[in-house]
Amino acid sequence: MSYFIQVVVDGLSNGAIYAAIALAIVLVFRATGLVNFAQGGMAVAATFVAFALTRAGVPVLLALIAAVVFGFVLGGVLERVVMRHFEGGDPDTAVVATIALLVLLTGLSALFFGYEPHPFPSLFPNRTIGFLGAFVSLRSIGTIAVLLVIMAALQLLFRYTKLGLAMRAVADNPQSSALSGLPVSRLLMIGWGLAAALGAIAGVLVAPQLFISPGMLDFVLVYALAAAILGGLDSPVGAVVAAAFIGVVENLAGAYLDFIGDDLKIAVPFVAVIVILIVRPQGLFGRKVTVRV
Amino acid sequence: MNTFFASRPRRIAGLVVLAVVLVLAPLVSSPYINYQLSSIAVFAVAILGLNIVMGYTGQVSLGQSAFLGLGAYIAAYGVLHDWPPVLSLVLCAVIPAVVGMLVALAAARLRGLALAMITLALPIVGVPLARRLTDLTGGSQGRVVSWLRAPEATGLANDQWRYYVVVVIAVVAFALAHNLVRGRIGRSFAIVKENEAVALSMGVSPYRTKVLAFTIASLLGGVSGFMYLAVVQYTSPETLTFFTSINLVAAMVIGGSASIVGTALGAAYYVLVPVLAGQVNSSRTALISGAILLAVLFLLPAGLVSLPRRLASLLRRRPQPAAGAPTPDDATHRAPASSTATTE
Repeated sequence: MSYFIQVVVDGLSNGAIYAAIALAIVLVFRATGLVNFAQGGMAVAATFVAFALTRAGVPVLLALIAAVVFGFVLGGVLERVVMRHFEGGDPDTAVVATIALLVLLTGLSALFFGYEPHPFPSLFPNRTIGFLGAFVSLRSIGTIAVLLVIMAALQLLFRYTKLGLAMRAVADNPQSSALSGLPVSRLLMIGWGLAAALGAIAGVLVAPQLFISPGMLDFVLVYALAAAILGGLDSPVGAVVAAAFIGVVENLAGAYLDFIGDDLKIAVPFVAVIVILIVRPQGLFGRKVTVRV
Repeated sequence: MNTFFASRPRRIAGLVVLAVVLVLAPLVSSPYINYQLSSIAVFAVAILGLNIVMGYTGQVSLGQSAFLGLGAYIAAYGVLHDWPPVLSLVLCAVIPAVVGMLVALAAARLRGLALAMITLALPIVGVPLARRLTDLTGGSQGRVVSWLRAPEATGLANDQWRYYVVVVIAVVAFALAHNLVRGRIGRSFAIVKENEAVALSMGVSPYRTKVLAFTIASLLGGVSGFMYLAVVQYTSPETLTFFTSINLVAAMVIGGSASIVGTALGAAYYVLVPVLAGQVNSSRTALISGAILLAVLFLLPAGLVSLPRRLASLLRRRPQPAAGAPTPDDATHRAPASSTATTE
């Protein structure tokens, strides 16, 4: 039983990281209707800022705040300078532009810090506590807690603030939003900025575990995409639930099914996602979209 | 594609020149160049499949690398068991096509991102599966093979022989695809991409059309896997990673979505840009590739295939600059219509 709890909590902690990037993807999707492959690249770039600061002796928490600010500015600038150019054009081209940004940001991070992984100090004390007979690391609990706070904040933002309402309107119909006097371009910049800031938090949380390198989040991005799409792409809660589901199912399968083992465990949540999507194409929490002629 | 090749004699002359270049190129080039040229042929066929499902039919596929890898593994298995290459080629086409069709039968009901997710899962699940099924795939080490040696009678070196093998397959694939997209099926692809409800009202089943597009894309992916093994003589789980799929999508858009010529240009881009970037500075390959990718997207949003048109419009605009500046989008949106008009 205690082993079971440990496996589940580890799964939730992995899921929390997937969820943070998934939330960032959901944020950009809600603001711009685009899937942003550059999300991982922006997060890593911001995490490297935190890395440089901690190496210079700045406390981790301050470095995190700096990374969040840097991420917000980076996201806004990339939207303004690069993505603005592709809005209203072919969505495929815009998505490939985000792929280009991913490659470019990875290359930039490597330019300054090289490709080899570096250790990164943890935000939380490196201790474990007993929980129902299992040993659970404070890092896992901290990661999950931070994530839940972010999710709640995003949900509040979209549901109860004018800014959130405006961002939803822009994602839904940019032309009508502009006609009703919403500053569409500024809202898009804010959407990208928030997403990159969120990525920075995820990056700083996961870096102690993965070690920081330009490709650190490449794999997380795939999980996060799966979580975002499974969750329905327009629902922060859905993304988090889906990410937790993926993290836990993966860990349980790896721990309890002998023929799956550590190498094949990634297949389990993905097969589950396929089955769920075929049954429920709009995702777990997504709304059905009716397409008219 | 553009006004120069609009007339029939000029088109035929262009094709003859292309054929002569394709035939003579390996005879005068170094093995290294031949390897790169052969690689372009390999990825051209993979991107051709992707273009049929994504460019022409408008269905996102992030799983093309899985079919490429599947084809390469089938071919490697064939080499190990001394199958004749023709049998390998047929199986490399048929098995991925069947797999692709089965996936599409389940997935083609879905739209947009749900579809993207299912296709994305193929390489994600495929890579660890390839590592695990050691007996079939050789596990993480992959399979090194030595096959398709040049027959003595031809007097060709191995690299030249392999070049001819893959280029012949690529030319056949391109010719078939060219006819496919111009015909009835190609028109049903286009209307499904445009609007599924309209397609339905015209008696075209979007579901069946999408399954067909996916099946053809998987078939071409598998064939490109055969070609990959012919050229590289090695395959491993790395062949089918998700990032290969992403790069193939990028190359397709860079070359030109829904364009046969663009597909070939995209393949050249896919193979050559990392090589060139590596020659400029081997530790900055990602940085340079990303910058080039972004630059091309900025300058030619409709892909490399629109370069002649873009140059022409720039030249035409020169007399009165600044005046009202017709957007490049107008030119690119008009273009497909005019190009179909000239070829019909």
